[in-house]
Amino acid sequence: MSSLETSKSDLKQQTPEYRPGHSGVAASASVGASTGRIPVPRLPRRKGRNREGLEAGKRSTRTLLWIVLAAALVIYGFPFVYLVLTSFKTPIDTIAVPPTILPSEWTLENYTSALGRSGVLASMINSVQTAIVSTLLSLVLAVPAAYGITRYKTPSGQVFIMAALVTRMVPPVAIGIPLASMMSAVGLADTPIALAIAHTTISLPLSIWLMASFFEAVPRDLEEAATVDGCSRLGALWRVVIPVVSGGIAVTAIFAFLASWNEFLFALLMTAVRSQTTPVVIANFQTQFGLDWGSMTALAAVFSIPVILLTLLLQRHIVAGMTLGAVKG
Amino acid sequence: MRLSDRRFALYLMTPAALFLAVFVAYPLLRLVADSFYKISPLAGGSREFIGLANYAEAFTSEAFMGAGWRTLAYTLIVVTLEFSLGLGMALLFTALGKRSQIWRTVFLYPLMIAPIVAGLLWKFLMIDNFGLVGTVLHRAGLVSDPNQIGWLSDPSIVLFSVAIPDIWLTTSFMCLVLFAGLQNIPGDLIEAARLDGARAPALLFRIILPLLRPVIAVALVVRGIDAARAFDVILIQTNGGPDSASETMSLLIYRTMIRFGDPGLASAMGTIYLIAMLAVAFVAVTTIWRPGKDS
Repeated sequence: MSSLETSKSDLKQQTPEYRPGHSGVAASASVGASTGRIPVPRLPRRKGRNREGLEAGKRSTRTLLWIVLAAALVIYGFPFVYLVLTSFKTPIDTIAVPPTILPSEWTLENYTSALGRSGVLASMINSVQTAIVSTLLSLVLAVPAAYGITRYKTPSGQVFIMAALVTRMVPPVAIGIPLASMMSAVGLADTPIALAIAHTTISLPLSIWLMASFFEAVPRDLEEAATVDGCSRLGALWRVVIPVVSGGIAVTAIFAFLASWNEFLFALLMTAVRSQTTPVVIANFQTQFGLDWGSMTALAAVFSIPVILLTLLLQRHIVAGMTLGAVKG
Repeated sequence: MRLSDRRFALYLMTPAALFLAVFVAYPLLRLVADSFYKISPLAGGSREFIGLANYAEAFTSEAFMGAGWRTLAYTLIVVTLEFSLGLGMALLFTALGKRSQIWRTVFLYPLMIAPIVAGLLWKFLMIDNFGLVGTVLHRAGLVSDPNQIGWLSDPSIVLFSVAIPDIWLTTSFMCLVLFAGLQNIPGDLIEAARLDGARAPALLFRIILPLLRPVIAVALVVRGIDAARAFDVILIQTNGGPDSASETMSLLIYRTMIRFGDPGLASAMGTIYLIAMLAVAFVAVTTIWRPGKDS
């Protein structure tokens, strides 16, 4: 029914041996690895101009398609490039009429003024702290839960994974308001911990779903063998299964981290000055200090570029997670 | 003293279940409870039970009904455009085959950008006077004056304009999912259809789309739910304006709570919104998603 299922059954048939420390699922489900991969029946792949299936055959068609792709990529990529270019303009250049694409004079002025503003560096530390705490919390809760759901198909497990799915549908604004007042009632108002907990309400259901998919691909024989050898069930999980799905855990961690890093609504509702995260600070640039586009673009670049680089580095894993999360079922 | 498997599984799930109960279910119960009260926004303020009065106020308020329709319209705009563009890109990448792989990765990058950054960036691009979009259209000869289209200041098109960053951010997601689906269509099926003389449109509508149906359904549901909850991009671009023309449900609830200081009414609106979302989710899950059935 979905690509996931097919690639999963493919995996089971084709790769009896497992590569600990590297997620077999991630590799096989990743779009990169499955390019041109056709599930049963597998056709012999012809080379050269004689292409099969949906691949364009004629040389002229392909050239045209490459041009279309190049145009699409330029349009799609340009906005962020423009943001970065703007961040190197002088403040006056930033709002020049008509706007120019390249800075007339390259300067780091926007960066120094954005990062030098009080609270900006503190907000970055808060963002990192909140995201790390939230990621760890998500993993610690999601890994055992997902394992319990997938390995022992109990009715309670099925109810639970449905409940986790329903949680994903809840509008954040609906729980943000009562959650904020709960946190202040227990004295956690305006702390990174409270915000990390709030972010975990978003990332935990997603993490459970992702981890359930990864555990699903681990053959049962693996831990059965371990238990026969005298391992307890918990021991088998910790020593045998966890190493096998470590790639999947990495994928889940990336998603949990990104969910917290980019989150805005909870951060807006639950933090004041002390634990403000960078998205809130970026948003404040436009109200508090008038329209300071230069500093805003500089801070936005500093905030986004590490994450974009991370994506490019880990793209295989990220693609695997996206497709698993969405094409699940 | 060995635990039964059933009990062991239950213990593994308990921490996560407790977390969701305390930090999701309980706040939701409080939201529902608060919706029956008239609450003073001041700390330690008064709390008076008023039954369904908040609901009556919500349903008779023009702002609430308007926000409901705008949320629906916004969701349709986002999902339709993302789906068309995403499918186009997925077909393009499929047609180009393996050698386009690196560009597929490049195409993913907006997914990692915070919605707040995307919203500000597009506001900067579409803003009157020094916005680049107006200037580019002017230079291309499409408009007579760079400010002819008031992207974010004209109430009749603002709902479309605020959707642009959202579309820019997540078309890649749609493309990714549809691309994965396309890889599973057997090549010989396409070739057989081609030999039978099927041309591109027939191929698309008679073969590809029906085969992709399950993948399309899931992608549309996932994105539809996200779009219906949109908050960051709209708040940062227009704050719901001008004249509430881009005020969707999340924004209205937020403003009712924070700006107008009426937590009771905000809770009633939140409850209605929540119920509507869960109803849609329930229908979607029972009809197309069926989690857990794949094992």
